[in-house]
This record gives sequence, structure tokens and C-alpha cells, in this order.
Amino acid sequence: MHTLLKFFSSLRLTVVLLTLSLVLIFFGTLDQVEYGIWETQKRYFESFIVVWSYPLQAPAGAQLQWLKLPLPGGYLLGGFLLLNLLAAHTTRFKLTWKKSGLFCIHFGLILLLISELLTDIVSEESQMAIDEGGQTNYSETVLENELVFIDRSASDYDTVHTISTDLLKKGKRIAIPNSNLSVRAIHYYPNAKIARAPEASEASPLNRTIANKGIVERIDLQVIEQAMDYSQDAINTATAFIEIFDAANTSLGIWLVSNVIDERFPPQTIQTDSQSLELALRFKRYYHPFTVELIDFTHEKYPGTEIPFNFSSEVFVNDLNQNKKQKALIYMNHPLRYGGLTFYQASFANEDKTSILQVVKNPGWLLPYISVLLMGLGMSFQFGMHFIKFSRKAKH
Amino acid sequence: MLSSKQQNIQNNIFLLGLLTFGTVFLAACEQQGPQSYTIPKEKSLVTNAPQTDEPKMQVLPGMQSFADSASDITYQTPENWTEFAPSTIRKANFKIDNASGTAEVSVTVFPGDVGGTLANINRWRQQIELNPIDESKLNETITPFVISNHQGYFTKLEGNNQSILGGILPFHGSTWFIKMQGDILAVDEELDTFKDFLSSIRIEDNHH
Repeated sequence: MHTLLKFFSSLRLTVVLLTLSLVLIFFGTLDQVEYGIWETQKRYFESFIVVWSYPLQAPAGAQLQWLKLPLPGGYLLGGFLLLNLLAAHTTRFKLTWKKSGLFCIHFGLILLLISELLTDIVSEESQMAIDEGGQTNYSETVLENELVFIDRSASDYDTVHTISTDLLKKGKRIAIPNSNLSVRAIHYYPNAKIARAPEASEASPLNRTIANKGIVERIDLQVIEQAMDYSQDAINTATAFIEIFDAANTSLGIWLVSNVIDERFPPQTIQTDSQSLELALRFKRYYHPFTVELIDFTHEKYPGTEIPFNFSSEVFVNDLNQNKKQKALIYMNHPLRYGGLTFYQASFANEDKTSILQVVKNPGWLLPYISVLLMGLGMSFQFGMHFIKFSRKAKH
Repeated sequence: MLSSKQQNIQNNIFLLGLLTFGTVFLAACEQQGPQSYTIPKEKSLVTNAPQTDEPKMQVLPGMQSFADSASDITYQTPENWTEFAPSTIRKANFKIDNASGTAEVSVTVFPGDVGGTLANINRWRQQIELNPIDESKLNETITPFVISNHQGYFTKLEGNNQSILGGILPFHGSTWFIKMQGDILAVDEELDTFKDFLSSIRIEDNHH
């Protein structure tokens, strides 16, 4: 325990950790060119270890491609910094009036580290698209996909079973809840192109679909794997071949699922003696216990120009549990806060007939403000004390 | 120096930090299994009103009056097509909802040749996310088709998610476009009906 404390409380460790943080930010920024903001954030800051490799498009990229640099990720550095600070307080600091400012600063810093972690783990961001006159009870994110099985047998509700695509990637067998079926992904493509298969002779056998159930029974499709597109606003076509097994471990067939095979197509179903399940791979959805109804979307421009002056959405929030209806106007810098979520005006589409709201869930949003306030107070106190001491000396 | 009691408390704080870090580490490593929830019954997502399918097409000044002044047309509405009132620049509007999906048919007329047949085919290709073609491929894409006693063209374009069936008819200084766009399977099913519809169109002709 003593040696552990000694190691974690050393000031040298602080310097090393801060330097590594700088290095991490530097290489993260470099990789942002190729991977975009979301992927970089995930790889560098929401991870324990990251390996940077020399980019192909950089000068002499072809020759230096072997150059790889493993770095500690954000979780590891943040966690060690937190421990470092706590250990330092255990061994070196003693709470006195003179040092209370320092304690305040450090406490603020600890709070900031914790709040960052909390944001990473629990915050959710998604988008809600509503047509004028229409309403919706879910928002979705195009950055993540999920495999869903929907049981529509009940008369007044649908049951949805979701499996994250992270599980699919591993190719493990996963049991579908409330059924005796299980599923396994034979291939998972983070991005692919689905097209009508050309005449049999031309198609390379690799590209031909291996699926034998669902949409492929009616339409001959081929899947061509594509590199992930990390550019801003890019939407990747996640696609998978999935095999379903029954209780006796017999294969029921292989289905082709993809987020482009969406509501525009007739639903694909799994039919067993006792059950009928709809299946789809779709953008990850978050259902809410209320619906948002768009009454009117306005897009005002400066007279005589195409420069937007204001976007606003007039909405009704209908709470399904409390039978409550609330009207709100959402516009730039004036979001709606409801049910622990914040709705911002994000975009619009469809000749100004559809409004797109950014839906943000971040229970820890207040913590960074508090921590910065604490650090500010601590600094003012600490420097103020020094100043008073100094001015007293100067008088003598 | 710290008193032993204070030392104890502070040791505990450190241990607590270590535990928190460990828990988070484990939580991050753990994979989420399948999740289940119920939602209110979802309505069919097929909308009944025709969508505005040309979101980027702006109604230019004068286009409305041109559309108003253009010749009248008559046609035979196929049985399973639902007709909607003509909109701003559309002379006719249909919605199809068959077992394989939905599609929409619009009939529009524009002054001049609207950039030529190649440009128009490429505009349609772009709408269903196909790459543009060049002049050499044009003849493979279109086939001659007589509409209202005049030489026009028929084309079938198939994208990844949607298909377009189109009729293009240069008609005494203006161009008529008859377009069906919708789900690949739905459009496939309507191919013959669409051709019959093209043949049934009669445009009022004051030029002969």
C-alpha cells in the first residue's frame, strides 16, 4: 500500500501524465483529418490504449507506413491523473486555512475529471426529424446501428429487442430475448454498397449474396464492402448477413439486413410455428415516453437574400404517461428542456416541411460549471492571500 | 506531519478513488447484451399524401404561369393508382401503394428542352444516387417511345433503393416529363402499367 501510494503521489508522475496528455491531443488532432471528430474522440479519448499509425497520405506515407506509436488513451490518463491527485492529497497535503484555496482548486479539478467521464458514459446525442403536422416518439443517431427484432403480436404495443452492432461484429451467437431463437452474424460490414446483382456470369462469386431468406428471395442483391467514410455528415451503410437458429440449433436461414433496407421496403420477418418477428438493422433509436408534434416550422431569411435569419419549430410535447400537453417554441440558442433531454434546432429538410432537432441527454451538464467555479474561487483565494501578504510586507 | 487519524481518512479517500477507477475500468470492458423494451403500436410508415419528391427543384418565376398556359392533357388513370390534385407545376399526380412498396408518378411540363435529354437523364440518375453517364451511354439508357403521336423516349433507371421509370417528350418547343419514382420492387411491378399510361396520354395539340 505504501509503495503504491508513493508511486501514485509522485509529482514526477503528474508531469509524465500531463506530457502524455499533450502528446495524445497532438496525435489525436493529426488523426482527426482522416477519421473525423467522432471517431477520433472514441479512439483517443474514450479508450485506454490507442495506436497511432503514420498516415498514408502524409509525405513519404508509403515508406513510413510501418511507423506505429502506442499511446495511453484518455480513460487511462484521466484515471491516473485522478488517482495521482487523490494520492497526493493523502500523503502531502494537510487541510489548513492557508491551503484551502489549493484544496478548492484540486477539488474542482477532480470534479472536472469525474464529470468528463460521466459525460462519456451516460450522455446520448441523437436527432429527431419531424414533418409538419406529424409527430414522433423517438430520436436516432446515424453514428450507431442496432439489430432489432420486433414482436408485433400484441394488439396495443410492440416489443422491441435490440442487439448492438458491437456484439454482431464478434460473430458470437446471441440469444434473442423472449424467444427460443438465437442469432449470429456471418459477416458484418460497417459500410457497404448494396446493388442489384448483375447477370450471373458477370458477378464475382465473392460478392454474391449468401443470404437465402427475406428480401433476397424477391430481389437479387449483391453486397460490396466499402471503406468507412469518416467525413462530417457522412452516413455509412452498415450491412450484415445474419443467421437465425431455433431451439434445436437448426438454422432457419440467412437474412441480409442493412440500414438502407428500411421502412421503404416491406419488412423482413422470421416465421416460426409459435412466433413471427420482424428483423432489421437500423440506426440506433432512443424511444421517449412522450411524442413531439411539429405544428409549424419557420425559416426566415433576410429580405432579398438567401441568408437565414431565424429557424424555429413550434412544437407540442404530448406526455404519454401523464396525459399532459405542452407547447414550446424551439429556435437558435433557445432549446426546449423536457424529461431530462434538451432539444436544439439543428437542421431542416424537405422544402422547409421537416424540422430536425438535436436531442441531447447529459445528466452531468452542470458539473463542469461547478468545477470551473470552484477552481476560480480557489485561485482567487490563493492569489488573493499572497497579494495581501505581499502588500503588507511592502507597507512595512 | 499528518495525524494518524487524518492519515487514515486520506488513505480511505485514495482507496475509494482506486475502487472507482477499477469499477469504471470493468464497466467499460463489459459488453452490453441484448435489450428489450415495449413501444406504443407503430402505425404503418407509408404516408398517404404524396411527398414532395423534388425538394431541390425551385419554382422559378414564370414557371407557374407557363405551366398554367401549357396544353391540357388527358389520360387514362390505371386502376390501382390514386390520383391527387395537380400541384404548383405538376399537370398530374399519382400515388401507388402496392404489395411491394410505394411509388409516385408526376407529369410536368417545362419550356425549351431543359438542357437536353442527357442532362435530364442525369438529373434523374442523381435523384436515385446513380453516377451520371455520358453521351455514348445515352442510347443504351433510352428507348424511343411514341407519346401522344409524337416521338418521345422511355427510360428505366434502377438505383440502390429506388427506381425511376420515365417518359420524355419534346413537344412543340416545350418538354413533357412523365416520371414514376419509388421502391425498386413497387416500380418493377408497375412497369407495364406505366407504359400503358404513357400510351394513353393525349396532349392538346394546336400546332397542326
